[in-house]
Amino acid sequence: MAVQKLSKDKVAEALGELCKFRLIAPAKSDDVVVFKRIDDPAEAYLEYGNSTIPPKKFAFPQTETLFRFIKGSPELTEANVEEEGTTVIFGLRPCDARAMAIVDKLFAWDYDDPYYLKRRELTTLVGMACIEPPSVNCFCTSLGGSPFGTEGLDILLTDMGDYYLVQAFTDKGKKLEKTLSSQLEDGSAGDEKKAKEMALASEGKIRRSIDTDGVPEKLPDLWDNELWQKVSAACLGCGICTFLCPTCHCFDIQDEVEEGEGRRCRMWDSCMFSEYTVHASGHNPRPTRKERTRNRVNHKYSYYPGRFDVIACVGCGRCINLCPVNIDILDILEQVVDA
Amino acid sequence: MVDVNKLRETAKEVISREDVRELIGYRPGTYGFRARPAFVMGPDEAGELIFTPACVNNLASYIVLEEKLPVKRGEEPDLRKVAVMVKGCDSRALVQQMEEKAYERDRILVLGIPCTGVVDMAKVEARFPNILELGEIALEGDRFVLSFNGTKEEVAKEELLADKCKRCRYPTPLVYDELLDSEVERFADDDYSDVEEMEKRAAEDKWAYWEEKFSRCIRCYSCRNVCPMCYCEDCVLDRLQPQWMRRSVDISENTAYHISRAYHLAGRCIQCGECQRVCPVDIPLMELNRKFYKDVEELYDYEPGTNVENPPLLSTFKVEDREDFIM
Repeated sequence: MAVQKLSKDKVAEALGELCKFRLIAPAKSDDVVVFKRIDDPAEAYLEYGNSTIPPKKFAFPQTETLFRFIKGSPELTEANVEEEGTTVIFGLRPCDARAMAIVDKLFAWDYDDPYYLKRRELTTLVGMACIEPPSVNCFCTSLGGSPFGTEGLDILLTDMGDYYLVQAFTDKGKKLEKTLSSQLEDGSAGDEKKAKEMALASEGKIRRSIDTDGVPEKLPDLWDNELWQKVSAACLGCGICTFLCPTCHCFDIQDEVEEGEGRRCRMWDSCMFSEYTVHASGHNPRPTRKERTRNRVNHKYSYYPGRFDVIACVGCGRCINLCPVNIDILDILEQVVDA
Repeated sequence: MVDVNKLRETAKEVISREDVRELIGYRPGTYGFRARPAFVMGPDEAGELIFTPACVNNLASYIVLEEKLPVKRGEEPDLRKVAVMVKGCDSRALVQQMEEKAYERDRILVLGIPCTGVVDMAKVEARFPNILELGEIALEGDRFVLSFNGTKEEVAKEELLADKCKRCRYPTPLVYDELLDSEVERFADDDYSDVEEMEKRAAEDKWAYWEEKFSRCIRCYSCRNVCPMCYCEDCVLDRLQPQWMRRSVDISENTAYHISRAYHLAGRCIQCGECQRVCPVDIPLMELNRKFYKDVEELYDYEPGTNVENPPLLSTFKVEDREDFIM
């Protein structure tokens, strides 16, 4: 199939067509952009930099009920992810799609996580290339990504001015193109060539970088290095850096009870919280924010690549932009490199 | 404006004292106009300290965030003082902490900074986006001067000033061992017009407003952790058995969280505004805190964090306390 294009005049119509699925798109609420379920194309806000919260929650919800138990009934009612239906995440950034491809490895590792994997199976990712890096703290190119990266994406849209270039890479993507056949037109090879040039230009505008060569191997040797005390001294122990991270995937499982009904729930957890590692005895093997910060960096830059051969960071810059005390992962990594 | 050389000299003297363990101040951040907390452990490190209108953090929070590990056998606990730089608003957090007997006055050494106002970093970054190289912000008269990339830009103070500063009653610290500059007059009084506007709205309007805000909450607890008054050793939110607050993130639990948080700060919040500053999803938490602040002032003629000798408002009873609002 030739490359396609979507005229900006037809975007609302295309989104309307996609509303027959569970359509997730960026939406603005005050000055905060978050991905949410869209029932009306007018709610979508596509002229955004990057969302405050990554769209990971549509594969890995912040809270999900795995099953319910009703008082007086011996049966468990299990969650049926299938009922959530076909999902289209529209307009996510290439870094966030790549993050999903990275996290997929974990959820399909020693045990196939049925909830996560089912959602991923049901979901088509329609990305939006970054014509300009959205943030001064973007560093995706240091980690093998690109503002025009396609890893994890089914379709990539590129804003060409009056229209979007539409490139489908997977069967899911091609299927979605068919759904939108009334809205799409044939594009030209010239568009693809131009998009390649735009990609190079955008990559050239990324201003922060880190050479990660050797970092995964070096980190274990720095276990007792004084740098951890220094880089964590200002840490407040909140969950911003982990909850807003597109690759952070830790969860807790708890039972919640309400009026005759119990629910076994899974919810995001953060290694920056003090109770994350508290033992039943009360002992905490990571007693202070120093150990927790060390773990966060090691998990992303050492343990994950050790297990899955890829660093669990995509360089989206959210943890840098939103840390209340300017703890900066690149600053930490530079100290690791220099140590 | 605080003279940076004087600041560094004073800091050097302070950290050289035998009875001082560390000094908490500010240093330049890692990019753009950001400044960040500095933890000075020796005289050599005092040279990086700064104070500019970019120094937004309330460092009083670190006094109560300190993590105390059990003292190892044969070792003595380190009882030396912690020195801390505070602006007027931040100093009130220290006063309130001491009103509540969180620690004794001799545990801290306070370097007071008479403050002429700090910026709202979100406004700065919206006005001057994508600045990577370290820039500086200074106040000259009624204008902020921003130096970056070899250029200088001037902006009217009003446009970049943090909202809390616009109604600051106490720009000069209320507690200090050393004042790093001459005292600053209060620039404005608080007329509570924003709170009154909210009070006038119909209940259903208010509910719709807060429902939308609370639905964005991701319960990262940055508002709790940054708060200088949230220092319970065992926070009710972290309790699993019994679990007082569910971990589920939904409008019901989020609302319960934010209302409980605001109530716990009634008569205690000193309006440093840190909770609202750090919120990644821009929930205007100060609107809640300020409603309580106003009520407490009107009902009890009490302002938190203004006098170490004041007993904490809600842990005391006076026969003349108003009770006409109690059913």
